Amino acid sequence: MQRNQTFADVFRARGVSRRDFLKFCSLTSVYLGLSPSMVPNIVQAMENKPRTPVIWLHGLECTCCSESFIRSSHPTIEDLLFNMISLDYDDLLSAAAGTQLEDQRRRIMKEYKGKYILAVEGNASTKDDGVYCMVGGDSFLNTLKETAADAAAIIAWGSCASFGCVQNAHPNPTGAAPISDIIKDKPIVKVPGCPPISEVMTGVIAHFHTFGTLPDLDRLGRPKAFYKTRIHDKCYRRAFFDAGMFVESFEDEATRKGWCLYKMGCKGPTTYNSCSKIQWNGGTSFPIGSGHPCIGCSEPNFWDRGPFYQRLAEVPFLGTDSNADKIGVIAVGAAAAGAAAHAAVTAVKKAKEEKHDNKDKA
Amino acid sequence: MGRIIEEIYVWRLPVRLYHWINALCMVALFVTGMYIAAPLFNPPLGEAVFYKGMAWWRYLHFVVAFIFIANFLFRLYWALFGGDKYARFGGFRPWSPSWWGKPFREQVESYLFLRSDEPNYVGHNPVAALAHFLFIFCGSIFMIFSGLAMYGENNPGGFSETLFGWMIPLFGGSYTLHFIHHLGSWMLPIYVIMHLYAVIRHDVVDRTSVTSSIITGYKHKVEEEPD
Ligand code: HEM
Ligand code: SF4
Ligand code: SF4
Repeated sequence: MQRNQTFADVFRARGVSRRDFLKFCSLTSVYLGLSPSMVPNIVQAMENKPRTPVIWLHGLECTCCSESFIRSSHPTIEDLLFNMISLDYDDLLSAAAGTQLEDQRRRIMKEYKGKYILAVEGNASTKDDGVYCMVGGDSFLNTLKETAADAAAIIAWGSCASFGCVQNAHPNPTGAAPISDIIKDKPIVKVPGCPPISEVMTGVIAHFHTFGTLPDLDRLGRPKAFYKTRIHDKCYRRAFFDAGMFVESFEDEATRKGWCLYKMGCKGPTTYNSCSKIQWNGGTSFPIGSGHPCIGCSEPNFWDRGPFYQRLAEVPFLGTDSNADKIGVIAVGAAAAGAAAHAAVTAVKKAKEEKHDNKDKA
Repeated sequence: MGRIIEEIYVWRLPVRLYHWINALCMVALFVTGMYIAAPLFNPPLGEAVFYKGMAWWRYLHFVVAFIFIANFLFRLYWALFGGDKYARFGGFRPWSPSWWGKPFREQVESYLFLRSDEPNYVGHNPVAALAHFLFIFCGSIFMIFSGLAMYGENNPGGFSETLFGWMIPLFGGSYTLHFIHHLGSWMLPIYVIMHLYAVIRHDVVDRTSVTSSIITGYKHKVEEEPD
């Protein structure tokens, strides 16, 4: 793979017309929430800047992010982008293997010191020196730290790298930790989702390529362009939510009519993502569109906020499964019992004192 | 019952108004909040535009929430600048031994039946002051901050989100914040039970008319039962 080619060179070499190339640039600007006046900047960067070298590491993960990425909605274009980012190291996709591949990684790290992007899919086990995730003869924890040291920026792909996902769900036997817990001194952009939407992934890369910086991030480190608002605020079933028209079981008439899935445990009201806007598989549909509640896959610790089909999470309380209402009722019961017991003692004590007083008088 | 020997004006009008507005707001917030968490009624099949089922309950929750907030701020003003000796923070010094030392211990002992005489306070006794500080002061602030953070969620960059949005990462995400706001709302019935019990008990035991004082403003000292 030649590394000094520009995006436009690659497009031409692949037989993509200029028209399609411009279309791709304007679409990307739309996804990124940029004004139309920024389109020329993107075109300019794509045509003139050499491709950004990327090292893509895989830790504890299921590869769903890569799967999503290569299934982007504009196969010719985004598949190309995938080739275009100078993906010099990806242990999943590379033809080379073993020492050869690891040498390649070290060469890029040296050659492009401080310039390459480190894309991390999955997270690292931190317990017992990271022994629960060994890649290429070393713990992923070590490889991650080593590769991050000279990176310009880090992209944390998916919920695993961003927040931990299923690996660090309770009881987290391997001590899996998100990238931001391990690498503290590099700019990190979190692109959560299980997996993230492919257009979101390419958008983040295009932004870095165009402006040389990470996009605007929100309080949780996610690009605002895609994670600023909740699923709920863009959901086409919102009218049914406001009307109070809810699906109560997956067999009822309301299901067929496409009412709101709030009572089926929809986490849309607490989930920040673009599914209800960009949708999946080239805008074909998204979970709620297919009648399934959002499970909040792009939110921190979503595995521990279940069950998926219940609005109120179950939490361990005094060694049993419980939820906020059960805990509340128990606490109210305890307060009432306490008050009753206190009243009883007061009454007994008062009665005794009165007897005592009467005796004194007698 | 003994003869009233002294009438003391304890709760001035602003305090009584605050108390009742607050009580009504909290009950309304609890009921509407619980409805938001578990909407009971499903309208019959029909056009969504004709129903306001959920929107209405949420609207009610928010309107009452803002009355609740305004009322809270008013009480804060009164405590700081009202010059009302029974309504200020002045006496509440949980960090100082003069506060949690003897007076607090005596009151706790009395509640635990470890001493027979009841210390008598015109305003709040130290245990009551602590309960109010935890449940009413800290509790309200928590419900207000978490509520406003959630209120801002649908308008990122707006007033509420800019000022209170930091609550979301603080509690580890939007869902946890909703959950904790929900859990926190159970403070209300717990507090109400303890509060009503304590007030009625004091009325029965010390006969200081503490129950009616929050309506009339007056507490009474009564003469011991004539032998
Ligand atoms: C004593 C005070 C309050 C109580 C008992 C209370 C109770 C509740 C409850 C039980 C919920 C449902 C949570 C869930 O499971 O989703 C809720 C939601 C909410 N509350 Fe409160 N609340 C109080 C004060 C406030 C205040 C001061 C605000 C400020 C604006 C507020 C704003 C909200 C918002 C925005 C929601 C989310 C609504 C939604 O998800 O659609 N609350 N409240
Ligand atoms: S289906 Fe989910 S995201 Fe859509 S309106 Fe209902 S609760 Fe909100
Ligand atoms: S709708 Fe919710 S659960 Fe589904 S992919 Fe989007 S964020 Fe994840």
